[in-house]
Amino acid sequence: MQQLIPAFGFGLITASILAIAAVGFTLQFSVTNILNLAYGDIMTACAFAAYLANHAGVNIWISLVVGALFGAVFSMLLNRFVYFGFVRRGTRLFGMIIVTIAVSLIIQNLLLAIFRPTFFTYEASQGPSYQLGSMVFTASQLAIMGIAVVAMVCVHLLLTQTQLGKAMRATATNPGLARSCGIPTDQVIDAAWLVSGALCGIAGVALVLNTATFSETTGAAFLVPIIASAVLGGIGQPYGAMLGALTIGIAGETAAALMSPAYKDVVAFVILIVVLLVRPQGILSEIAAAKEVAA
Amino acid sequence: MSDRLTTSKVGLSLAIAAVLVLAACGSSTQGAKPKTYTGTLTFASFNPFTGPDASFGPEMAAGCIPAANTINQAGGVLGHQVQCIAVDTRGDPADAVPAAQKMIASTENLVGMNGPSSDEALATVPIIDRAHLPMFADSGQAAFDKSTYKYFYRLTPPDDAAGVAMAIYAYNKGYRRGAAVFGNDLSSQGNVPNLLTAFAKLGGQIVINQTLTLDQSSYRTEVTALVAASPDVIFTEADPQTDAAYLSQLQQLHGLIPVIGTQPTVQPPWIKAVGGAVGRDALSKNFAAAQPFSTSQGPAWDVYNKALLAAGSEVPQPDQWSQDPYTETDYDAIIIMALAMLEAKTPDPSFYNALIPAVVGNATGATEVHSFKEGMDAIAAGKKINYVGAGGPIAFDEYQNSTGAFELIGYSTNGSNPQLAVVSAEDIAKLRR
Repeated sequence: MQQLIPAFGFGLITASILAIAAVGFTLQFSVTNILNLAYGDIMTACAFAAYLANHAGVNIWISLVVGALFGAVFSMLLNRFVYFGFVRRGTRLFGMIIVTIAVSLIIQNLLLAIFRPTFFTYEASQGPSYQLGSMVFTASQLAIMGIAVVAMVCVHLLLTQTQLGKAMRATATNPGLARSCGIPTDQVIDAAWLVSGALCGIAGVALVLNTATFSETTGAAFLVPIIASAVLGGIGQPYGAMLGALTIGIAGETAAALMSPAYKDVVAFVILIVVLLVRPQGILSEIAAAKEVAA
Repeated sequence: MSDRLTTSKVGLSLAIAAVLVLAACGSSTQGAKPKTYTGTLTFASFNPFTGPDASFGPEMAAGCIPAANTINQAGGVLGHQVQCIAVDTRGDPADAVPAAQKMIASTENLVGMNGPSSDEALATVPIIDRAHLPMFADSGQAAFDKSTYKYFYRLTPPDDAAGVAMAIYAYNKGYRRGAAVFGNDLSSQGNVPNLLTAFAKLGGQIVINQTLTLDQSSYRTEVTALVAASPDVIFTEADPQTDAAYLSQLQQLHGLIPVIGTQPTVQPPWIKAVGGAVGRDALSKNFAAAQPFSTSQGPAWDVYNKALLAAGSEVPQPDQWSQDPYTETDYDAIIIMALAMLEAKTPDPSFYNALIPAVVGNATGATEVHSFKEGMDAIAAGKKINYVGAGGPIAFDEYQNSTGAFELIGYSTNGSNPQLAVVSAEDIAKLRR
């Protein structure tokens, strides 16, 4: 029981990374209606981009920016040159999921071919440890949590205070109506891929800072909790994804403290199932309900 | 009418009997003729080449390729050249079963194989056995300690023996409070039962037994529980990324304590991942691992090592496998199968399989041989042979297992693995369940 409070603290770290990733994932879906299962592999690709920068002598936090920029550009190009072609031909949601799985495999195998099947580590110190009550955080973890908070605030401001954010929300709710109202939806979709790709890149580098080492499969292994967070919050709902990430991150760690580490994922997914039984559209659900995708 | 009925019943009975007799003949080699082969014979390395245990496959292929090269240099087997192919099981039974079925159904002249590993052995050994394909498994699972599969052989010790060796070494080093930290995969979990039993029998105490879900982003809660239990040694096997995250988070929250791993923890991917995460200095001060003991010397090893280093681009960085006991026995397995084919005068597995034990073991009057060429010449001269392999002498028990001692090795910052101790097969046998 005395491990519960430290576990809560560790859950916050996991939740921070999950939140960045899940908000990017769900933003992508809400604006483009593409459930991008290659998201985890794009995270890995971003982690490799940051790795190359880092091993070229660049500071890890600047390398994180490199990862974010790579994620933004890569995601937008991926949509422009791969996904958009299918969307234009009228490929439906299920068909697009298969396309994203194919892209996921291609990215993973390309990374394998380029970097070989081995493990990589950033040249970065975790920094000193800080005791907050019975919770312990390293400087690096505090930075990750800080980045998560800043990213969430930025997403909030983007969606509520800017023309682009409003255009994104309009496109997410009804793209046809948005277009007829004069919103340039193609540019809005490009912007959504740029923003969500940047979040994907930040999450990829933060994940690797947390795990200390990574390979070509690291991001893909993290995809299930990302999707769980997004679904739990109500898919397509950035604020729901934040809430979902917090729930999944903390539930997993506290379950490991109270029971066995073997039940870490089990408890998180039991919560997911129970919530979805009670509220099938997820915790926050306006857009999801409108799109009739969560039912 | 009655006569006609009786006649047709007798005819039907005779037909059924004939079918049964034919079926019986079909399942036996007695009276049957060996299959005729044309072209190159194929040996498969059936192991994970991708996935969490992706390091297993290259380790195995590094044994097969030099063995095939030495056989081909000696003129091949019964006039056939031989080759190795890699079959990726991804370390997952769900992928391994179709991979096994495809391999059996579509590989031309497939005459034997190395593998499967612990990851997929339980699911695939029955399939391979039914296909009458001799297999030299690198699975350490205790389920095969008393295997009755006719085509199953094992030259490496079972996983549960590694658990005992770890316990003995830890106890001899003065550790009394152990923490078992193993991944939730089959291969890792195979070590746990005998580790727990042996350490308790010796007088030690396992203060915490953690089963880790692989590839999580954080193990800090697990690490906090471990620290609270105050162990003085950690026993572990998990995939490289899991152990790297776990041990680096232990280092952040508490500092490292001595770690004793299994054979997968001395493989390059594990060392690279964990060494990168905790630092090579910290690893060299705190790390030991149990692996099957091989002297890595003697005439058979010389032939193996020469062929390995000459493999060129077929085996990347071949020197990393020079003293790897698994690679050595993978090499031996191919040589043994090839020699058994010479004894049987056919590469047909249904025929040569029964002669596999005959080419090893110290039978009276047998000529000791250390390479395929020596064995081929001795067989041609009408002699019985005893192949002593790169991994040392081989003697199958009634379950077709041949196991031996373990060594504990450390890790030094220059990349070498100094030997720390040897645990004898007798000591292990005393403590195994």
